[in-house]
Amino acid sequence: MNSILMDLLEKALVSGIVSSVMVPSRGPDNSFPWTLVTDVSALNRVEPVPPVMSVHGAKALASFTQSMPEGKLLAVMRPCEARAAIELSKLEQIDLGNIILLTMDCPGAVPLKEYGEDGTMEPDINRPETLRPLCRQCTEFTSAGDLCLAMHGGLRTVIPLTSGGQELLDSLGMKAESDTSQWKEWANALRGEREKVRAESTEKLKETYSGLQGLVEVFSGCISCRSCRTVCPICYCRLCFIDMKDRRSPASAHLERSRNSGAARLMSNTLLFHIGRMAHMSLSCVSCGMCEDACPSDIPTGRLVSMVSGNTTELFSYSAGRNPEDPLPLNTYQLEELHEYED
Amino acid sequence: MVENSVLISESSTRDTLIHLLARLLQNGEVDSVFALRGTSQEGRYCYSLITDPSLLNEILPFHPVMPVQGARALSELTITEPFDRPVAALLRPCEIRAFVENVKQSQGSLENIFIISCTCPGVIPASRLLREDREEVQRNLPANIRNACRTCTEFIPGTQADMTVLIASDEPQNSTVIYLHTEKAVEIAEILDSCTLETGKPPAELTSGILETRKKALKDLMREMKAPGDGLQSLVSLFSACIGCRGCREACPLCGCVLCDYETARTLHSPELVRAEAKRKGSLRVPAGTLQFQLGRLMHIAPLCTACGQCSDVCPVDIPVSDVFIRAANLVQESLNYSPGRDTDDTPPMATFAEKELLDITD
Ligand code: SF4
Ligand code: SF4
Ligand code: SF4
Ligand code: SF4
Repeated sequence: MNSILMDLLEKALVSGIVSSVMVPSRGPDNSFPWTLVTDVSALNRVEPVPPVMSVHGAKALASFTQSMPEGKLLAVMRPCEARAAIELSKLEQIDLGNIILLTMDCPGAVPLKEYGEDGTMEPDINRPETLRPLCRQCTEFTSAGDLCLAMHGGLRTVIPLTSGGQELLDSLGMKAESDTSQWKEWANALRGEREKVRAESTEKLKETYSGLQGLVEVFSGCISCRSCRTVCPICYCRLCFIDMKDRRSPASAHLERSRNSGAARLMSNTLLFHIGRMAHMSLSCVSCGMCEDACPSDIPTGRLVSMVSGNTTELFSYSAGRNPEDPLPLNTYQLEELHEYED
Repeated sequence: MVENSVLISESSTRDTLIHLLARLLQNGEVDSVFALRGTSQEGRYCYSLITDPSLLNEILPFHPVMPVQGARALSELTITEPFDRPVAALLRPCEIRAFVENVKQSQGSLENIFIISCTCPGVIPASRLLREDREEVQRNLPANIRNACRTCTEFIPGTQADMTVLIASDEPQNSTVIYLHTEKAVEIAEILDSCTLETGKPPAELTSGILETRKKALKDLMREMKAPGDGLQSLVSLFSACIGCRGCREACPLCGCVLCDYETARTLHSPELVRAEAKRKGSLRVPAGTLQFQLGRLMHIAPLCTACGQCSDVCPVDIPVSDVFIRAANLVQESLNYSPGRDTDDTPPMATFAEKELLDITD
């Protein structure tokens, strides 16, 4: 376990500067549930960077922070979780008011299904084959939120990223290493590699599944379990558009659909569901890969949504979860916009 | 009810069924066929509503996989109105039972559905067909079926089936055997080519060995049921790896609520309450409510569970959800004297109220 981080958590709780910490702990049978810790003695089960992502940290955080916590809350999470938390605050699902987000150089996560087999696999940042497909192509593996635990480039220190982060370090009497140049080099090099992987993977996806027919194909094995939606930190609607009663169609309409091509696939809403979800996620997807990890049918849904969202966010010059101050593109309106889409 | 009238065909089950269904479509006896089909991707399957007879050669009748519980797909088709013209549906016994429960809860209609079922040998977990050598896992079916199928004693369809294909049987069959339960079924069988009609032994007599094996497996499952005292702790441990994907609920043919009770403002814990609990206990698992959801769903579904195993099949972290549900369902259904899916006329237990009921479990 990381001693600098543990030291920080302990000091923060004991001093009362922070009144609660949200962090994964070790549960029974190789499970790593999120825990909201208020008592220092419960810190001994903490596992700040578990090998798997079983529940997305932003989802766990959103389950109790729609109103502002009374004292300071320190949430220890992976960069993609912190970015989702920032997106959720813009979507008014989390009140970040009293929350400090602490991230780390993320090693990546082992695919849930592979970890489950014996519970011994560890993610290794240098061995992509131990990581989930989206972790292999993740370019934002460090420096999200207010503070970041740096563990590469010869560093082992907590680096402040915002004034809130700096304040916390100051009040705990902790000081960050000042020379971060090697660490930055490390990050840039890895980012470069990952960008290549991402470009290759996107190319391959486009080749295999292009156009509507491609989508039909990739989702043909979808069993409509909706797990991708339920585990996604950004899919927060209590009742999804696809489940609304007005989506139901009568038997005659299904027959009509069948007659058009000789046969109709059931459940009939599958494609509409996925296209709708892609559209809804396309600005805020943080490429965490939860959806893909949870899919019992091994459908590369995370890579697909992430690819679509990459295109959209580029168009709006937006980056999900980077800056709490950046407004959500669809919530802003500019008289002069999207000229390239007019004629 | 026609007594043990059977159709014998020397062609394979698949060919016989395709021939039969094609005839039905061509003669206008049915407008459409509801059946399992492969998709363009290997190892992936889906239900389809087929109207063009030439596409029938794509169906995989009673292929040992259940991508979606058939009742759920049929419910999607008939929830707002029944079929106004006949449709032939290929369904496994647990799919029929689940659909009968759907009908009772106004989630579908059996009207105009001609049901072709089978003595069911069980299905293989979908993920295994996807990830493992498909031929290998299919070769020894009984060894590779779902846990739920292993313990299923109701593998012969009930009275709703018009036809039953003998698939599971103690002795391998040389020809295709289809039981004809209704006048309509006999009528249809009479127009088929190269088949003979006979009187055969009832399916129960040809499957008694399988029933014995299944009963034993069910008994073993029931014995594993922990005493109520340590039950809660064992459930905590069992669901510790649950990722909260709710796939079990979505896949269950009986979980039909538009908005699950455990997603409503009434049952979700308020942020204030969660934070207060964490303060009181020193540490709290978040999101709270994993076990509340499982136990709540168990309470809602135990009286109705038709033991299909779909919930386990979709669980991405391999929690044996259906084992828990099937054990509880057996106990609850026995004490309520209710057998879900047996008959559309049986009233669901929650809909009846007797002044003197459940005296044996109250004091
Ligand atoms: S769509 Fe998938 S990858 Fe994107 S935020 Fe949601 S779960 Fe993560
Ligand atoms: S998790 Fe996979 S199978 Fe389930 S709805 Fe999403 S894409 Fe379909
Ligand atoms: S399918 Fe499995 S992981 Fe998902 S909610 Fe159900 S028990 Fe939990
Ligand atoms: S609880 Fe599980 S086994 Fe029971 S009907 Fe639902 S999906 Fe089938």
